[in-house]
Amino acid sequence: MSDNDDIKTDGSGPGIVAPDDEVPTWRERKERTTGLSRLTYEYFERARREDQDLRQESSYIERDVLGFPAWPHETVRNLAIGSVFVGMLLFLSATMPPHLGDPANPAVTPEIILPDWYLYWSFGLLQLGPINPDLAILGGEKIMSDELYGVLANVVVVGAIAIVPFLNKGGARRPVEQPFWAAVGVGGVMFAFTTSVLAIDNLLPIDPNITFDLTFLLPLVAAAIAYAVLKTMREGYMYDLNRRYYRLRPPR
Amino acid sequence: MSLEPADEYDHNAWLAERDLSLIEKTYLMTLIWFDRRFRLVDYMELLEDMYYKVNLQMPKSHTEQYNLDNKFWYWYPLYALGSFSVIAYLVAAVSGALLGFYYAPSAASVNGDPEAYVQIVAIMMDQNFGFMLRSIHRWSAQVMTAAVFLHMLRVYFTGAYKEPREVNWLIGVVLLALTMGFGYTGYLLPWNQLAFWAGQIGVEMALAVPIVGEWTAQLIFGGFSLGQPTLQRMYILHVFVLPFVVTALIVLHIGIVWMQGIAEPH
Repeated sequence: MSDNDDIKTDGSGPGIVAPDDEVPTWRERKERTTGLSRLTYEYFERARREDQDLRQESSYIERDVLGFPAWPHETVRNLAIGSVFVGMLLFLSATMPPHLGDPANPAVTPEIILPDWYLYWSFGLLQLGPINPDLAILGGEKIMSDELYGVLANVVVVGAIAIVPFLNKGGARRPVEQPFWAAVGVGGVMFAFTTSVLAIDNLLPIDPNITFDLTFLLPLVAAAIAYAVLKTMREGYMYDLNRRYYRLRPPR
Repeated sequence: MSLEPADEYDHNAWLAERDLSLIEKTYLMTLIWFDRRFRLVDYMELLEDMYYKVNLQMPKSHTEQYNLDNKFWYWYPLYALGSFSVIAYLVAAVSGALLGFYYAPSAASVNGDPEAYVQIVAIMMDQNFGFMLRSIHRWSAQVMTAAVFLHMLRVYFTGAYKEPREVNWLIGVVLLALTMGFGYTGYLLPWNQLAFWAGQIGVEMALAVPIVGEWTAQLIFGGFSLGQPTLQRMYILHVFVLPFVVTALIVLHIGIVWMQGIAEPH
């Protein structure tokens, strides 16, 4: 290279410098970096190596073709199922048209104030005022208003649902394998139902106090029954598994 | 320095050498003209790539591979609930767009009744198939919500939310909340008595929260008492904000299921 081929940035020269041996490759640049990018790079390298080792040790045979093609098999099946479902929707719409009540009138409070059915549980949680704790120190004053208590109950319920996967670990899948979590689920479904009933208790011919107590009792009862049934089923399930195991390998 | 076309890419010479009919020649000239400007070739390659992806053979599922269909076939309807909610969502989107042609989110008084209410009466009574259209929209919304709830129960009781799938469970919880938000905003749009007083509950819930409550009430409901701003905000949430957010999240949700595989019974 001659001595007048300085890199020009005024657009006159070629402007492109051919890589020589001194220029680091992209791989080298990646390896040389420090800090978080370096850590990321190392982790990905390790993970790739781990995957490769696992694949080599595995006895699983990967086959070329394992299923049906997306077209036409899967697509035709999905279109058929979808059409049946849309047909069901149209049937419902044609046979049970919706009702449009009186126009909005802020001056008249109607007898029935309700959201749509899927929000009954939330509306029921707003009516938990009777269990809003009061403090003796504050002279029987409540820490928060009943309304805020209801709103927080909503937040607590949604939060409890959200953190389930972080509490329940392990490979068990069937309810019979984990009676406790299945019982929690049954109790939760029952609680959603009873709070919904609590939301419409002014329409029911039952004493509101009884409804309120049942709101908390019924979920517990349902959960206890579910737990007992599943635990019993699990005994039989495990007994069956053990018997099969010991038939294969009799104890000495 | 400019890029001169090399000889082998001299398309005009190539065109002259081929003995083409007028139609073929015009087509090729147009194609080349657009390709020079928009790099159509790149997009053709994308399309070709997509063609092969669409025709991918899906891997066999766990139950298919170990021939367990005879043991689990009766659970399969429960595994369709997610798709059902998506289908109901699509039906609601189409019928909702058609309803939107005739609806106006206005609380102004028309002969003593709010205009939105009058519009809905007009849709139901004057439009051809208007009653059916509103019925379809309402029923698909109800079915979608029911399907989403049942879908969550299926996922819970089959333990499908476990280890690699926590993120999708969280997205699902958000989607469930947004679905109910869809339902709530839509419930307020007819501006009948039920809608008005359901909105009243909403404002009171917002105002019960300390510090951010008043701000939330003003943002979502447009004030501390219900009126035109409330209806307009509910309308925009229902037809503009929520559709984009929910559609994007559904795509993400299904994409993750595709990536991680369906958690099947075992």
